[in-house]
Amino acid sequence: MFFRLSDEQREIQHAVRDFAQHEIAPHAERWDEESYFPRELFRPLAEMGLAGLLVSEELGGTGLSRLTGAVIYEEIGKADMSTAVWLSVHNMVTGLIAKFGDDEQRQRWTPRMAGGEMLGAFALSEAHAGSDAANLRATATRDGDSYVLNGTKFWVTSAGVADVYVAFLRTSDDGARGTTAFIIEKDTPGFSIGKRERKMGLHSSPTGELIFERCRVPLANRLGAEGEGLKIALSSLDGGRINIGAIATGVAQAALDVSTRYAQERTAFGRAIGGFEGIQFMLADMAMKVEAGRLLVYQAAFKMDEGDPVGQYAAMAKCFATDSAMAVTTDAVQVLGGAGYVRDWPVERYMRDVKVAQIFEGTSQIQRLVIARALLGDAAKER
Amino acid sequence: MNIVVCMKETPSTTAEKSFSPDMRLERRKEDAIPNPFDEYAIEEGLRQQEKHAGSTVTILCMGPATATDTVRKALAMGGDRGVLVSDDALAGSDAISTAHVLAAALKKIGFDLVIFGNAAADAYGGIVPSATAELLGAPLLSYASKLDVDGSTATIERQADIGYNTVAAPMPTLVSVVKAINEPRYPSMKGIMASKKKPLDTFALADLGIDPATVGAAGAREKALSAEKVSTQRKGEIFIGNEGAADRVVAFLVEQKVL
Repeated sequence: MFFRLSDEQREIQHAVRDFAQHEIAPHAERWDEESYFPRELFRPLAEMGLAGLLVSEELGGTGLSRLTGAVIYEEIGKADMSTAVWLSVHNMVTGLIAKFGDDEQRQRWTPRMAGGEMLGAFALSEAHAGSDAANLRATATRDGDSYVLNGTKFWVTSAGVADVYVAFLRTSDDGARGTTAFIIEKDTPGFSIGKRERKMGLHSSPTGELIFERCRVPLANRLGAEGEGLKIALSSLDGGRINIGAIATGVAQAALDVSTRYAQERTAFGRAIGGFEGIQFMLADMAMKVEAGRLLVYQAAFKMDEGDPVGQYAAMAKCFATDSAMAVTTDAVQVLGGAGYVRDWPVERYMRDVKVAQIFEGTSQIQRLVIARALLGDAAKER
Repeated sequence: MNIVVCMKETPSTTAEKSFSPDMRLERRKEDAIPNPFDEYAIEEGLRQQEKHAGSTVTILCMGPATATDTVRKALAMGGDRGVLVSDDALAGSDAISTAHVLAAALKKIGFDLVIFGNAAADAYGGIVPSATAELLGAPLLSYASKLDVDGSTATIERQADIGYNTVAAPMPTLVSVVKAINEPRYPSMKGIMASKKKPLDTFALADLGIDPATVGAAGAREKALSAEKVSTQRKGEIFIGNEGAADRVVAFLVEQKVL
């Protein structure tokens, strides 16, 4: 039974915490306020080795375990959820190219992505298809030694600021086997960025629409075989869920830290508000949720590193950690009272930011379906 | 160029400090970090190594046996190898003893350029660089905010009240640096992983030919008598009302040399 990170993991944790608290956290409020995407952060993150977490050293990455990755994302999430989200998407996309790309594709993109030159983005969802990934409408039609892409992608993290997009398009009507992945660089003719979403939170991580209009992409940009798209997309699912759980845990921890400090310092009726049982019980519940969420995240990451089947554990970690983070950040606003509701304190941002963690990478409802199906087997299936 | 960076293990600046009955700072392994001032020395050593091809950087530390972890933390930033001088007889060493030990270790390792932080964040003595230079009979370029090494000469800029002084010395030389000299790098993931595999030698006093009676508590010329928490009291002045308040604020700012 493990209940202790390795020395190396703790050193990585400290190094990333140090970086995140000095280079990210002090700016998060302004970035949020101005909806500013801090591109200048990408290179230093890459220099630390955080832009190629799932890529081997030969390809310029660091090839760290999922558990170490969870530790890293928690620390970055604690400083700024927006940054953690675009970084985790970039790492996932870089990892997909390293895993499913041919030698030429790997050499062409992964070192520059892991090195902080090219930012990656992932485009699967469409206007009518979020959780229902097998039902895509954007198409790619083979034409000689290239494909012609048409259609629109929604909810793309880093749309407009990324340099490399891995997008999933329909190449045949063969349901789950009709989807193919493509690598598309930003200035490809026929490829443009649609509207940028105006979101509740996560302001400094741009989210937007990709538009393909007779966009011609060479065969060399097809990632994996034709029809392999869904397999590629789904391969990143469990890891992505664990990462979101880790990020949400970081946000929740940050909210708990602020609330605890506030309860020690803020006085009312002649005593620190931490002296009141009403506040004490809230903080105790918040702390339990943070710890339990973190343990589920660590467990899922550990199982994934061990090569064990991880689907339901990743779902539990993601669902519990993000639902908990929503509750904890909401309670943090309550502990701070009026101060929690204004932007002078970070907790309202935590609350706005973390809401989406219950939605993307599979909603909390989808995660419960995954868990229930693992429990019930055939009995959970619709007739 | 053979570059040696001297680094002390200190308690984390945020750690709760306590003292043993004989007035020694109690050091807990989990609170130990490389002295924050020394990070600038390490960074400068690494930058000089980058500028001068074929150079090596050695991290030299005197500390408890457990300080190997702290040396490896420093090696995560970069550098080729670590040397820890550790001996039970060193416990309770004062600044002069420390300088004796570092001087002996530096002679054993060999050096062209030795870089120190200008003080340690625990006792804040700031004596060790000059004492070590004195014992080695080598020059010390102290409080450097810029360092250039050109052939056999090292040149620094030392911040002065107005502008800076330029000071040069022939190599081999010792240099102590201030925070203004650089911005220390964050250790990279690769650096952290590589630090575990870098050579790290441990020397005992016998390896350096030092008589245990001359160092540690036995040889200390310095004795801590008592320690107290610093209590800071803010003495704010509040000027209220229209009558003369603005003038008083202006007078205050002039007094503070702000205006």
